[in-house]
Amino acid sequence: MKIIAAQCKAEMTRMLRNKYFVFWSLFMPILFYYIFTRVVNTGTADQEAWQAHYLMSMTTFSVMGSSIMSLGIRLVQERTQGWTLYMRITPLSHTAYFFAKMASQTLIHLFSIIVIFLAGVLINDVSLSAGVWTMSALWILAASAPFLALGTLVGTMKRVDTASGVSNVVYMVLAVSGGMWMPVEVFPDLMQRIVKWLPSYSFGNGAWEIAAGNLPGISSILILIGYSILFMMFSNYIRRKQEAV
Amino acid sequence: MNEVVSVQHVSKSFKNEKAVDDVSFGIQAGEIVAILGPNGAGKTTTILMMLGLMEPEAGFSTLFGSNPKSRKVRERIGAMFQEVSVMDGLTCREILALVRSYYPNPLPVSELTALTGLEEKDLKKRAEKLSGGQKRRLNFALALAGDPDLLFFDEPTVGMDISARKSFWDTIRLLKNRGKTIIFTTHYLQEADDVAERIIMFHKGRIVADGKPEVLKNKLARQTVSFVAENRMPLEECWKLPDVKDVYRLGERIYILSDDSDRVLEALFQHKWDIRNIQTEQGKLEEAFDHLTRSGKREVG
Repeated sequence: MKIIAAQCKAEMTRMLRNKYFVFWSLFMPILFYYIFTRVVNTGTADQEAWQAHYLMSMTTFSVMGSSIMSLGIRLVQERTQGWTLYMRITPLSHTAYFFAKMASQTLIHLFSIIVIFLAGVLINDVSLSAGVWTMSALWILAASAPFLALGTLVGTMKRVDTASGVSNVVYMVLAVSGGMWMPVEVFPDLMQRIVKWLPSYSFGNGAWEIAAGNLPGISSILILIGYSILFMMFSNYIRRKQEAV
Repeated sequence: MNEVVSVQHVSKSFKNEKAVDDVSFGIQAGEIVAILGPNGAGKTTTILMMLGLMEPEAGFSTLFGSNPKSRKVRERIGAMFQEVSVMDGLTCREILALVRSYYPNPLPVSELTALTGLEEKDLKKRAEKLSGGQKRRLNFALALAGDPDLLFFDEPTVGMDISARKSFWDTIRLLKNRGKTIIFTTHYLQEADDVAERIIMFHKGRIVADGKPEVLKNKLARQTVSFVAENRMPLEECWKLPDVKDVYRLGERIYILSDDSDRVLEALFQHKWDIRNIQTEQGKLEEAFDHLTRSGKREVG
């Protein structure tokens, strides 16, 4: 247990020291939040609801990014830098290593969530009940699972450059089309129907529902579980194929 | 005898090409063994299979009589691979502290720095900012972190300058005196000859020789007699000389390997062949090695 704690601490230190993480997962979402709730007039009728809605958009945007990019790219880096091979001859088991990685990732997500929620309170005085704050934070932590699985899929790539290029594109496409930057209602009808099948839409939608005082829909939960299983199976399949060589 | 490493009829192929072909050997506690061979001889593959990082197709190997993947084995081994291993975002000191926490009886950091030549100022640096040589030292320190009984080094001195190399081998000798078992691969013959008590020579995935450096030299690099023949003399003639073990042509010279060069010389003079510039040499390990590994390319007839 002490070993896992030390491992988590090391992983978290690394993440917080990573400039890209701080920029993409903390600075950018807060900047966007400020711009789209204070600078640009989005013309929504219920300002208060919009401010809470967009806070959830930016928090899910942040957590989705660090799940796909930080985790995925770091996995590739560790492999190309020979660290993964070295770890396999130390007494630390693979399970403990993986567990520590996921636990530290989750703690970092919790940290991002708190920072961005606080920014919402400071910037716009967003006031939600304690139950809604807690529920939305828990939802964002739990529903990030498919993106963590997607991160491990990115982690199977051979080169850091490819991994960061591909994950960047996937991240942005998922964020924009999932309605994290602007509500999907502004999209054409056909597109709306398609993007509702994306994991990013379901991820955001659950948080938006909670912020509006509802519960996440069962379809969102099922879609996220489905993507988690799909990405996990795919990444396990690739990893097994790579090990067989 | 206390056998630390046991490799039994291990084989491995990549894309239908045999990288390691039915290799068996054992290593006793306290031995310092060089696995010597040219690139592609199967040295690294053998090391990876010994460590349990690669599954052999056939055969098996154990460390301390157990599965190399078991935790109690891993607490007693350390290794340095060809490629450097670093974890970015952490300082050397943080990495050492982390890795030391995995082992029941780690060496103190002060001892690790003294043994590997890592400096105080290096400890404060982030791993990714270290120079190649410093990363190598960090890897050496990581290999020693758990105070292991058995150490593996895969081409440890590649990329080291002369002074780094010297201090590396000085440390290895020190570790040997503490009773550690040490296995290293190299294609520098000098290193194997200088440091190891035993050399296992690999070629094309097989062990072609295994023994003490002096015995290997006697056995493999026999005395050679060489000369330049005026006419392009057929090599078959040379095979008729006494005690000849091998004959080959290299450039304009014909080389004759023999257990008794005196008798070869005597016979050469008796034959009165049209030859000049006769030389005799006591074999060096280098030659033995060249000789063994050149076999595919040698001109015959």
